[in-house]
Amino acid sequence: MSVIAEHGGIAEHIHPEPQGFIRKYVFSLDHKIIGIQYIITAFVFFILAGLLAEVIRIQLLHANGGFLTPDTYNEVYSVHGSAMVWLVIIPMLTGGFGNFVMPVQIGARDVAFPWLNMISFWIFPVAGIMLFSSFLMGAPVAGWTEYPPMSLQGAAGTSMWCAAIFLVGVSSTLTGMNFLVTMLKMRAPGMTYTRMPLFCWGQFATAPLLMIATTALAAALAALFMERQFGVPFYDPTKGGSPVLWQHMFWFYSHPAVYIMILPAFGIISEVVSVFSRKPIFGYRLIAFSSAAIALTGFMVWAHHMFTSGIAPYMQLPFMIITFIIAVPTGVKIFSWLATMWGGKIHLTTSMLFALGFLALFTFGGISGVFLAAIPFDLHVHGTYFIPAHIHYVLVGGSLMGIFSGMYFWFPKMSGRYMSEFWGRMHFALFIIGFTGTFLPMHYLGAMGMPRRVATYDPQFQYWNQFETIFSFVMTLSILIFFINMLYSIRRGKPAGHNPWGARTLEWQIPSPPPYYNFKHIPSVFGLPYDFTEPLPYLHLEEELTDSPVPVGAHS
Amino acid sequence: METNKPGRGFWVTTAILALISTAGILYFWMIPTVEPWLPPEGGHPGDQVDWLFRFMASTAAALYTFVVGYIVYFAIAYRRRKSDPPDALGFHVHDNTKLEVTWTVLPTLFVVLLSILSVRIWYVLQVQPNNGLVVESIGRQWYFTFRYPNVNGEVANEMHLPVGVPVTLNVTSQDVIHSFWVPDMRLKADMVPGMINTIRFTPTRVGRYQIICTEFCGTAHSTMDKQIMVVETQAQYDAWYHGWQVRNANVSNALPTVSTGTIDLAGGNAAAGQALFSQKCSACHALGPFTQRIVGPGLRGVLHDPTHPNLVDGDPATPANVAKILQNGYTGSIGHMPNQSDNGLSNKDITNLVAYLNSLR
Repeated sequence: MSVIAEHGGIAEHIHPEPQGFIRKYVFSLDHKIIGIQYIITAFVFFILAGLLAEVIRIQLLHANGGFLTPDTYNEVYSVHGSAMVWLVIIPMLTGGFGNFVMPVQIGARDVAFPWLNMISFWIFPVAGIMLFSSFLMGAPVAGWTEYPPMSLQGAAGTSMWCAAIFLVGVSSTLTGMNFLVTMLKMRAPGMTYTRMPLFCWGQFATAPLLMIATTALAAALAALFMERQFGVPFYDPTKGGSPVLWQHMFWFYSHPAVYIMILPAFGIISEVVSVFSRKPIFGYRLIAFSSAAIALTGFMVWAHHMFTSGIAPYMQLPFMIITFIIAVPTGVKIFSWLATMWGGKIHLTTSMLFALGFLALFTFGGISGVFLAAIPFDLHVHGTYFIPAHIHYVLVGGSLMGIFSGMYFWFPKMSGRYMSEFWGRMHFALFIIGFTGTFLPMHYLGAMGMPRRVATYDPQFQYWNQFETIFSFVMTLSILIFFINMLYSIRRGKPAGHNPWGARTLEWQIPSPPPYYNFKHIPSVFGLPYDFTEPLPYLHLEEELTDSPVPVGAHS
Repeated sequence: METNKPGRGFWVTTAILALISTAGILYFWMIPTVEPWLPPEGGHPGDQVDWLFRFMASTAAALYTFVVGYIVYFAIAYRRRKSDPPDALGFHVHDNTKLEVTWTVLPTLFVVLLSILSVRIWYVLQVQPNNGLVVESIGRQWYFTFRYPNVNGEVANEMHLPVGVPVTLNVTSQDVIHSFWVPDMRLKADMVPGMINTIRFTPTRVGRYQIICTEFCGTAHSTMDKQIMVVETQAQYDAWYHGWQVRNANVSNALPTVSTGTIDLAGGNAAAGQALFSQKCSACHALGPFTQRIVGPGLRGVLHDPTHPNLVDGDPATPANVAKILQNGYTGSIGHMPNQSDNGLSNKDITNLVAYLNSLR
């Protein structure tokens, strides 16, 4: 029987916890279990897509290739890119961390639509298996962008790719809607928009992007699928279609998608930098509003991917200038994080190290993004290795570093245990070295004349390609260390208590792992979570904790 | 209680970072050419692109030095020390309006400046020169062909241009999207089927420059970087141009279509076939044995190989059947070979190619 009691204007309504393995861990309605399901599934796809990345690097060891046939190589990098974007980064940051952290941080017991949440999750592994199964029938070859008419020539797996990405898009759209309603309607009393933790602001800016942009991709994919399967001529110019139409539709989604992949990571970094500097986040309002500004302007820049494609010349200019403008709110965030560190008492935990790595690498990727936005320079480097270099700096150096930072940060909340700090530092050091050695030379290769998506290349580029391949193995080794550390720590890690980092957001004020209902009483909030000198700004939380607190800094 | 003031170390660090930044800025403006970072520059407005690169690279170097420098400095100088109590806190600072306005306004000003500079160079790219050469290039899987005014048909292999003459290059494609890139000219346009995109530039340095396809266009995309843009003196160019006028005098300007019926194979010229092979077949077929596969099999002895008596479509390897595949193309489980129209082959070309293939042992 559920208990209903009025408390602070919010109905106190706790459902009984479901019993049995299937209801509790498989078809769970609990946002925390679903979040962990997302994270585990995304890590499985991360391993598969990462192995594909190593296959790519092995093929490029020699200018003449030889490890794979060109067709197989094209399949490998196409599935690598698609899987990393749609099956790893997006689900991990929104479905994974968003689900686990966001409802607790706003003081809610679950998301607004738990059933929808479960359905969103279960669509995702099905879509992932469909995407990888396309290898069985000839995977897509035209890269993760699948420009027609090339993708119209692709093997049967290209249609499977369309269906898989469409499905994962449905999952994203539902998640975005779910999160948006949750944050609009289910915040605890007193949790105003200007008191929401910045991680929630990241999700708050991302949710509308997921809802609006993904529908454009769905339309484009449906049209491509119909053209491939039933000959409906949307894109084939010999039948009156337009190849550039796809590019507009695709980038109308895929540019906001890069903000889907980075805004939640910005949120993670805001939490981590403040907690480990033992200082209030610097310029809370500016960071929060700049997320919203980035999300809004992110919709107005898609054609900067198409400066060479053939769009009206005067239309290029607004896209270039608005892209430049995005550098301003992004810069504001970076300066604010730096200012947060200034005068702090910085705990260099693994999570913080990854946050610092994020700052350094993402800033580099942001700067190369400004280079690419300038039309005259873009005309030189578009379609070359400069592009993979840039995208890996923002998606690996940015989003993935954010994921690692968040993983080390919230792992104690998920499991009640620390991950090993020593192996965490090894992971960090090897990852930075491997990453830089792999992706930094790609800028140079692209600018010097090496096109992207090639199975063989001009021998003058062989030295740096071999260099990159060697360093890519260092990166792989570091990720192996990460997984071993994580699997070991789930059962054997040092117990961490409920708030090992001395953090002040709501999820750290309840036991680890959190109980099914999150809060016995919905808390009332009367301040920002970042004022370290003040008492916690929450009421009605006193009875939550049963364990004795572990002192801050006990991890080291 | 510590004061909320930066220590002396902060200002010393800032001074050092300012020095390094200045060195970075000076480096990108003082080097005589940007060749360490970009290929040699061969034309206009490539020189202006290089100028923009210097501007952006020097600013980026300065900015990045400060960001990384402060990350490292803060992480060291403000780290929690063993002597600190476990619950020690940092300065109690929430924000600083003056600072926040500064780092919003300064980047905004930079964005305005960068926009003005970029638009100016962009404008140069849009201006049609009054007197110049108009050339067309057509992308195909997997090679480029060229069309010149008053030259019948298409020019194959190399593209020649006179030095110092403005060029308007119109590009399109016959099959999928390709992209025309000459790194030394810093310019690129996608070759989109059904559309014409334009590149305007003036080559200013004599030389041979690689033409590279940068838009993925199928199996042999990686090999679509073998053709050359030759920039030469006006006299050399005129001689080359006149040569093609004579050579193509009897060529039709209509695009070849797939002819119906069988092609007469009498009177094939093996030497002409050899030239065609290197232009139109060698991207996918080696001249080696059957097993030497690029996209399709090696074709040495295609008509005289006892271990492979049949062609890919199962018909016996006879000249007439080879001509049939050249005419109609072939699509099957092992891949796709374009037909006569897509490969731009006339009936006479097929006759010559068959004669050449028949001569190989």
